[in-house]
Amino acid sequence: MKKLFLILMSVLLAGMMVTGVAPAQKKVTLTVTWAAWYPADYLIKLSNDFTRQNPNIKVKGAFIPWPQYHDRVFTEFASGKPSFDIAVPDSQWIGEAVEGGHLLDISDWMKKNINFDDWYEFPLRSYGEYPDYSGHWYGVPLLLDFVMCAYRKDLFNDPKEKAAFKSKYGYDLGVPKTWQELLDIARFFTRPKKNLYGFATWQAPIATAGLADVFLGPFWSMGGNLWDPRTKHVEGILNNWYGIDAAKFWVELYKTQPPGSSNYSIDETMTAMQQGLVAMIGIYAMFYPGLLDPSLSMYVDKTGFFTEPGAIGRDGVFRHFVQLGGQGLAVSAYTPYKEEALKFIKWTTTDDFLWKWTEGGNFTPKKTIVEDPAFLKKFPNAEIAKVVRESAPLLRDFWEIPQYNEMGEYLSIQLNQAILGKITPEQAMDNIAKRHEEILRRAGYYKD
Amino acid sequence: MGTLHVRYPSEEIMKKERVQRIGKGFGRGVSEKALKIYFLVPTFALLLFMIIFPLIWSLYLSFTRYNAVAAAPPRFVGISNFARILSDPEVWTRFIITGKFVALAVLIEFVLGFILALLLNRNFKGKGIITTLYLLPMMFSPVVIGKFFAFIMDTNWGILNYILGLFGIPRIAWTTSYEWALYSIVITDVWMWTPFMLLLTLAGLSTVPGYLYEAAEVDRASAWFKFRYITLPHIFPLLILALLFRTMDAFRFFDIVYVLTGGGPGYSTQILPYYIYKLAFQYWHTGESCAIAYIFLIIIIALSNIYVNYLYRLRAR
Repeated sequence: MKKLFLILMSVLLAGMMVTGVAPAQKKVTLTVTWAAWYPADYLIKLSNDFTRQNPNIKVKGAFIPWPQYHDRVFTEFASGKPSFDIAVPDSQWIGEAVEGGHLLDISDWMKKNINFDDWYEFPLRSYGEYPDYSGHWYGVPLLLDFVMCAYRKDLFNDPKEKAAFKSKYGYDLGVPKTWQELLDIARFFTRPKKNLYGFATWQAPIATAGLADVFLGPFWSMGGNLWDPRTKHVEGILNNWYGIDAAKFWVELYKTQPPGSSNYSIDETMTAMQQGLVAMIGIYAMFYPGLLDPSLSMYVDKTGFFTEPGAIGRDGVFRHFVQLGGQGLAVSAYTPYKEEALKFIKWTTTDDFLWKWTEGGNFTPKKTIVEDPAFLKKFPNAEIAKVVRESAPLLRDFWEIPQYNEMGEYLSIQLNQAILGKITPEQAMDNIAKRHEEILRRAGYYKD
Repeated sequence: MGTLHVRYPSEEIMKKERVQRIGKGFGRGVSEKALKIYFLVPTFALLLFMIIFPLIWSLYLSFTRYNAVAAAPPRFVGISNFARILSDPEVWTRFIITGKFVALAVLIEFVLGFILALLLNRNFKGKGIITTLYLLPMMFSPVVIGKFFAFIMDTNWGILNYILGLFGIPRIAWTTSYEWALYSIVITDVWMWTPFMLLLTLAGLSTVPGYLYEAAEVDRASAWFKFRYITLPHIFPLLILALLFRTMDAFRFFDIVYVLTGGGPGYSTQILPYYIYKLAFQYWHTGESCAIAYIFLIIIIALSNIYVNYLYRLRAR
C-alpha cells in the first residue's frame, strides 16, 4: 500500500514537471482597516476586480467607527500583532506610526512603481513621506480630502437678499473669494429671530474632527505659520500678528454661528446645514454625500459647494491655502503578506482603479486624473469636481509628527476658550505657542 | 435514668471519611488539601496576571518615560512624571473639576435617593411598578444615556430648551457653555445613579423592625423623633456604604463625558479619568498617565478609608 502511494505521488510529480503545471499558490486574504464610512465600503467593492486579476489574493475590510479609529489602530499596533495587513491612516498619523516602527518602509518600491510627476506633490508627500522631504516613504495616497464649503443657493440667489447685501456691503452677494467676504456674508445671514445663522463649522476642542482642522485654512491664508520649519520653534511665529489676526477673525466668525455650536464636530455641522439652520458650512469635502441625500437633508436641491476661500493678510497680500484631510494606504510592518499587500497598493494607483474610484464619488490626488477633461464629467457632481480641481494645488497640512494630537488638541482647546470669551485671542495664541514649544522640547526637537 | 453518652467519631476517622467522600467520582484520590489548592490556584493566577502584575508594571511605568506605541523601551526618570503633574496648574484645574463633579453628583444623588426611598417605603397601589420604573435608568448603558442627553440638551433642537421656551425662558447652551457644561454632566449622572441610592436606602428601610415604630406610637413620639432615633440609626451604615460605592464610582466617571461634552468647552469638563485616557491613548504619554492614575488611586483610597473608618466607628457604637 505504501509502495503504491509512493509510486502514484512520483507519477503525479513527474507529470506536473513535464506539463509545467505548478502546485497551486497559497491563497491569501488581506485585511484592510479603515474608518467605517462610504469610501471604505467602495474600496472593498472595487477590490473584487483586483481579486479577479489576482485569484489567490482576497481583500476584506475591518472597519472601525471614526471616533474610535485612531485609538483602535494604534492599540493594535502596540500589541505587535495587528489584525490587519494594510492600514488607511489619516495624513497626520504618519509620524506617529513610523516612529513606532509600525509601517513598512517602501522607499525603494516607490521609486520603481510610482511616477511622482503624475501626482499633486503636497498630498503625495503628506500621505506617504516621513519626515517631510526625507525620501523615506511609507504610504501612497488613496482618498484625497480637504476642507470645502457648502452654501444655501436659494438664499444666495434670492434677488431681495442680493439687493439688500449689495446696499449694505457695497459688492455683489456671491460665493466668497476671501474669508473676509465670507465673514460679511455670514454676518448678513445671521438672523437669530428667524433661527438662521451665517456659518457653522467644527469648533469642538479636540485634535481630529475639531477646531484645529478648520481654523488652519484661514490661519495660513492670513499669513500665519505653525512653526519655523527649519528650527521647529513656535514662539514668535505662531503667535505673531498674522496668527493673532487669524485668531481674532475666528472669534468674530463664531459670532455668526448657531448658539451652542462650540462643540460642533462632523454630525452637528452636517445637521445644521441639512436642517437649514445656517447659510454656509465648512467641512471636510468627503462628507458631501450627507448633504445630497434627500433622506438626510431638507435642502438637497438648494445646496451648492465652493472652494475654501483665501484671505488678504495684514500685509495686503492675497494668500490661498486649503486644509488637507484624507488618507493614504500603508502596509503594516507586522504583516506576513508584504508582497501581496504591495501588489494591492500598486493596483490602487492605476488609472483603471482611480477612474472607477472617481465615478463612485471619491477623490484622488492623482493629477493626471483630476486634470483630465473627463474628470468633471465622470465625477458624479460637477460642482464638487470643480472644487476638487481648484483645491488640489492649494493644500496644506498641520504637523505630521507623533505629537500632533497633543498639539492639535491644545490649539483647539485654547481657541475654543477664546470663542467663548474665556480668554482673548492674543492670550490663546500666546498659550498655544508656549505649550507647543514645551511639547516639542520634551520630545527632543530642540538641541538648545 | 442513665447518662446519655454520645460518641463522636475521632478526628482521624472524620478525615478518612472526608477523603473517601472526595475520592468518589471526579478528583478520585485527591486529598482535601490538594483540592483546596486546585480551587485556589486559578483564582490566584487570575489575580496575579490580571490585577497584581498590571499594578506593579504600571507602578514601574509611572517612574519612566515611555510611549506604548513607540519602539523605544521605558526609560527610568525617577519622580519627574509626578513632579511635572503636580506642578502643572492645568492638571490641578482638572483635579478641581473632578472634585466639584463628584461632590455635586454624589450629594444630589444621596439627597434625592433618600427622599424617594422614604416616599416609596410605604404600601400603596402600583408600588412595585413605580419602584421598578425608578430603577430603570441605572440599567441602561452610560454611552446610550450620554447620547440621549446630548439630544435632550441640544441648544437648538433639544426638548429641554423647547420646554423651557414654552415658559419664556431663553435657550441654554447646556453642554457647550462654561456656565452649564459641568452641570449638564452632573444632571445626567444624577438621572442615572439616583436609583442606586434609592435602592440601597430602600433596602436599609426595610430592615427597621416594625415594633420599634409601634412602641414609639404608644409613646406618642413625633414623626421627626421616629426618623431621628429609629430610622436613621438603623439605616446609617447602609447609607455610608451607598455613599462609598457612589463616590468611588463617580471618580471613575468617563463614558458620559466622552459622549456628551468631549471634555469641553475648553477643558471645563475634562475630569481626571478622561484626562488620563487622553494622556494614555491619544498623546501616548504612557509613563505620565500611569503616574497620574496612581495619584488618583491614592486619593480614592484615602477617601474610601474615611468612609470605612466612619463605618467601623458606627459599628463600635
